[in-house]
Amino acid sequence: MSPKDSIDGLPFPTVGDAAFSKTPSEIERQVMEFFEQFRDPLLRYALSFGIPVHDAEEVIQEVFLSLFRHLQLRRSRKNLRGWIFRVAHNLALKQLYANQRSHAKTTSNRTIAEEQFDPSPDPEEQLSSAQRRHRLLAVVHALPEADQGCLRLRAEGLRYREIAAALGMSLGAVSISLTRSLARLIRADGR
Amino acid sequence: MQSEDLHLSDQEMLLTADGELSTRQAAQVHAHLAECWACRARMAEIEGTIVDFARAHRQTLDSQLPPIGGPRALLRAQLAELVSKREAASRRWFLPFTSGMRAAALMGAAVLVAAVVGRILVYHSTLRGANSIVAAFERGALPDRSLTPGATRRVAISDVCSMAHEQVVGEVSVSLRQEVFREYGILSAHQDDYEVDYLIAPGLGGAEDIHNLWPEPYTSRAWNAHIKDTLEERLHQLVCDGELDLPTAQRDIATDWIVAYKKYFHTDRPLALRSRLESVNPLGFEM
Repeated sequence: MSPKDSIDGLPFPTVGDAAFSKTPSEIERQVMEFFEQFRDPLLRYALSFGIPVHDAEEVIQEVFLSLFRHLQLRRSRKNLRGWIFRVAHNLALKQLYANQRSHAKTTSNRTIAEEQFDPSPDPEEQLSSAQRRHRLLAVVHALPEADQGCLRLRAEGLRYREIAAALGMSLGAVSISLTRSLARLIRADGR
Repeated sequence: MQSEDLHLSDQEMLLTADGELSTRQAAQVHAHLAECWACRARMAEIEGTIVDFARAHRQTLDSQLPPIGGPRALLRAQLAELVSKREAASRRWFLPFTSGMRAAALMGAAVLVAAVVGRILVYHSTLRGANSIVAAFERGALPDRSLTPGATRRVAISDVCSMAHEQVVGEVSVSLRQEVFREYGILSAHQDDYEVDYLIAPGLGGAEDIHNLWPEPYTSRAWNAHIKDTLEERLHQLVCDGELDLPTAQRDIATDWIVAYKKYFHTDRPLALRSRLESVNPLGFEM
């Protein structure tokens, strides 16, 4: 299943569909399907805010409980992937600020120097690959928050309309942001 | 982009690489790429960088992801709990009906009919009375719009959503309270009967400004400050859950907070009042 049709291809009814007579257990099943499909991308996205893993896991649990309530209330299923990432974005930000306020923030994000190397057999390749990754990620960390968000959501395979919904931006702003960020990455990479 | 001399922009190439162009636009870009070496080279750079960044992003974070098994089990348990709570709530709604019927069966058919008719009459008269009381309460529960149209401050969603619970509904400084009382012509002797409340709560981006404050009476009202606080918390939650945009929440609460309450709680009466009415409705008739 390609990222493009991964949501729209799921067996969700549209508004007015007779399948809205679903029992809650049917909605549970659908939420669990979503969880299987999006837990890792959402968790990566939440972690990219710099919150600890256990907080990010809680955020993701809350995202899927919100999704359950959303579906139970028969709210719109249009652009659900954008909706899910938007909820994750808001909750991760909320968690980040709560952690900052309480000074309880742990060093969840390992520094780039601590990151694991590729499982490549050649040590020189490993070093080169890690240095390049280091360079790319350093450029991303220096970007404005909105640009970082666009780029990370793009890396998770979201379409522009989904990124726009997740970040509350226009399609044009998403396109401009990604173009600007890519140009910076290319320059930094010395391509 | 039609000519070889006019190269494609990075944005056009990125939109092409990401499959975001229409078929016609994409065909134009590909036609240009087929004839322009410089744009092909740039396109390759862009595509390569996208792939490399996506790989770097995943490699960096994948090593931190715990196995999915535990979180999956936790979510399943939480969903099951939500469902069972919902089912239990439904059962509670029908319990008075079943017990009432059991008792009525013992009393015989004639008594049952009389009891049911009596209860319907009592219930409807209670409901009519309550509705008229509610309607009466609605008058005066809203601020004078010429004095209190509502005022907001520039605020990001992230700021609003990071507020502590007690900040969501907000407190008003003593000096500003006095100013509001003066504006509404309320004498100091009666000031204890009022809460100076925000029309648009701080948790929804409301400003501590005299145009956003009004004296709300405490005196045994259905639509009182406590009910409005629950609406503010509800709207704040919806905004932070991404289910409602902030300008809509601000507009709805500023226009008529009672209408907004009915809209967002899907009820025509304050929930506390509604539960009291339901308690005099043992037959469980739909209200």
